[in-house]
Amino acid sequence: MKRLWIIGAFILSVAFAGGDKLVVAYQGGAVTLDPHMRNETTTLAWQHHIFETPFFFSREGKVEPVLAESIENVDPNTWILKIRKGVKFHDGSTMTAEDVAFSITRAATHPKSQMKGYVGKVISATAVDGETVEIKTKVPDPLLPAHLDHAAIIPKAYFEKVGEEGFAKHPIGTGPYKFVEWLNADHLTLVRFEDYWGTKPDFKNVVLKNIPQGATRVAGLLSGEIDIAEKVLPQDFARVERSGRATVKQTAGTRVIYVAMDYWREYGSEGLPEGAKNPFLDPQARKAVYMAIDEEAIVKKIMGGAATVAPQFLAKIHEGYSPNITRFPYDPKAARKLLEDLGYGDKNGDGWLELPTKDGKRVPFELRIDAPNDRYLNDAQIAQAIASMLRDIGIKAEVNAVPKKVFFPNMTKGHFTLYMAGWGSMDSINTMLSMFHSKDAEGLYGRFNREHYHNPKVDALIEQAAQTFDPGDRNDLLVQAMDIAMPVDIAYIPLHYENVIAGVAKGVDFTPRPDEYLHAFEAKKK
Amino acid sequence: MLRYLIIRSFQTLIAVLAVATLIFLGLQMTGDPMENLAPQDMSDAQVEELRKAYGLDKPIHIQYVRFMEKLMHGDLGISFLSGEPALKLILERFPTTFNLVMVSMLIAIVFGLPMGVAAAIRADQWVDRFLRFLSVLGISAPTFWIGIMLILIFSVNLGWLPSSGLSSWKHYLMPAFTLSLYRIALFLRMVRSTMLDVLNQDFIRTARAKGLAERVVVYKHALRNALIPFITVAGLQFGALMAGAVVTEKIFAIPGMNRLALDALYADDRPVIIAFIIVTAVLFAVVNLVVDLLYALIDPRVRYA
Repeated sequence: MKRLWIIGAFILSVAFAGGDKLVVAYQGGAVTLDPHMRNETTTLAWQHHIFETPFFFSREGKVEPVLAESIENVDPNTWILKIRKGVKFHDGSTMTAEDVAFSITRAATHPKSQMKGYVGKVISATAVDGETVEIKTKVPDPLLPAHLDHAAIIPKAYFEKVGEEGFAKHPIGTGPYKFVEWLNADHLTLVRFEDYWGTKPDFKNVVLKNIPQGATRVAGLLSGEIDIAEKVLPQDFARVERSGRATVKQTAGTRVIYVAMDYWREYGSEGLPEGAKNPFLDPQARKAVYMAIDEEAIVKKIMGGAATVAPQFLAKIHEGYSPNITRFPYDPKAARKLLEDLGYGDKNGDGWLELPTKDGKRVPFELRIDAPNDRYLNDAQIAQAIASMLRDIGIKAEVNAVPKKVFFPNMTKGHFTLYMAGWGSMDSINTMLSMFHSKDAEGLYGRFNREHYHNPKVDALIEQAAQTFDPGDRNDLLVQAMDIAMPVDIAYIPLHYENVIAGVAKGVDFTPRPDEYLHAFEAKKK
Repeated sequence: MLRYLIIRSFQTLIAVLAVATLIFLGLQMTGDPMENLAPQDMSDAQVEELRKAYGLDKPIHIQYVRFMEKLMHGDLGISFLSGEPALKLILERFPTTFNLVMVSMLIAIVFGLPMGVAAAIRADQWVDRFLRFLSVLGISAPTFWIGIMLILIFSVNLGWLPSSGLSSWKHYLMPAFTLSLYRIALFLRMVRSTMLDVLNQDFIRTARAKGLAERVVVYKHALRNALIPFITVAGLQFGALMAGAVVTEKIFAIPGMNRLALDALYADDRPVIIAFIIVTAVLFAVVNLVVDLLYALIDPRVRYA
């Protein structure tokens, strides 16, 4: 009888301990706990448990105040930020305007800060009184509140006491979880912060783990070692559901997979036969490629349903998403006709379309499609599918899929004619400025517009939007720009948004965020 | 002996400097590290600022001189990603990999050596054939596949063993077995063939002729002679595992130094890559030295003076 009691107590204690602990498996791990030094999704996602920022994006893509109570723009270069009152740091001290000013300044000016893409325009942040911070920018930044989502607030006094290295070893913030212990890039153990200002999370103890192999994450989920597993692969969906122990949760993400085409070289584009004319300078040829791609089939057969067909470059929760744009229908016959009408028809009767060369000859329409093979979900297979779809309309397409370390430098250098890549950013102004604005000599505009897409009307609309403080007006301008760039110019061919996927154990209620940040504090007990 | 050790240490030092130089120059040829280090959303000017902060803005020869200077002081630089000393990051994870590899080697020796001897003394009987068949399986099964299959069987279906990490003896079983399988097979085959060679030699015939027990002939005379090539290979395998257990570390999510080095390679965190390679080079030198010293222990004819 006594033995039974002991066993019973043991089972109960295990059950309770299990119920209060949440283990989350990521595909990567945070490489540092200094919140301003590494701008990369997993590192930030881990840090978000410990640190908070003045503003942050909601799941619906709205900018919401977190450690700020309000922000007001007094002149184009000056903002007055009121901090939230009664917020405590993990060491028990109260957050002051001094802490906020110090943290924003550090994120904006530290030589090694990787947050300058967001807060780099800030030249000073000063505490006016206990609750007010004055922020000055070099140039007007209408998106400053949104950009402050990358300025984690840290306690100035503690930071100055322990120094940079000491802080990264034992970080302190205002977040829902307190630091307990970690191994760089491997795991992070956290405990709930009981004095947290906001809604306290359900789980008291949290372990964030780096489990790089997808099969191992799923195994852990099915064996009960893991409660939430990031990036479950489509081939494992059925197994997870069948197990009865976990389920797969998906959210349409904000990362768009797209096809880009050479816009700037009439001759000498590197993915075409030597001397051949580049057909993609004409929007009708780009439209032909667009209409030749059966995206529904790609999502269904290659992505296993783990993606959502994209009608445009921006996602639904983004600023500037246009309600007016739909996909061109999949119509290989019409696509081939478009190319034939442009004079690329098959004259020698071998079945392949033809391109004229500079010296008046005609060569088969051969095309190299470039793609990475280790960056996006099933990237090489998607490129293969596109190649076979283009072959169906008479373009002799071959895929050159290479590791990202080789792919991206070549993409930057403009060695491609037609390639597949991905883009994800919550900042639509940044997306438009760097992907849709024409390139300029100083590198301020069109930094990632490697294909040299250019339309003066679109440029003007983007520039105007970037200077507009009113969110409604800004959205209208971006929509106008997109309504030209996507359906008329076909600047890019959107394929799909990658879904954000998580395997979730039965006792846990969790749905992934569209922005790919996986937060344990958003998990609820069922 | 002391003189020998000093000479060997000096040779190791030269080798490390040569390796460091080669790696440093080799990494320069892999392109601009900022491609992978700087986040996409930074402007060109901001990327240049970051480059300067990492000390990558100086001409290569100045970077090289600075790097060698620091290396002489045992400083391998600061990781770009974590801001911590690169050597510390590697050494922090060294024991994890070391423990795993030691357990795997132990398993491989405990099983591989006796099986090899057994196969040799019963050459071409069914035991030998059966063991040789097993060894072909062991050599040809890919680590990746074995690891995943073990996880599926023992973690998912049976629920006996944890699938990731390395925090208790239970955690060691699957990864250590995954790593040792190939070595068991390798040792088996190699001990078998060297034993067969030795068993055919004159001194064995003499030993048998003077009436020694077969047990003594095999274990004292034959095995001792077969051990020298075995130790050489085992030493090399030990080094190869220390620097090559990356697939196993990845599958079982073990925080070893190989996985760290792989991540560093992907992110172009050069100080960590260099630190890993230097640690590995030193390790190989030490292993080779130990192997050489073991020769003297086994074979009384070998002397280092």
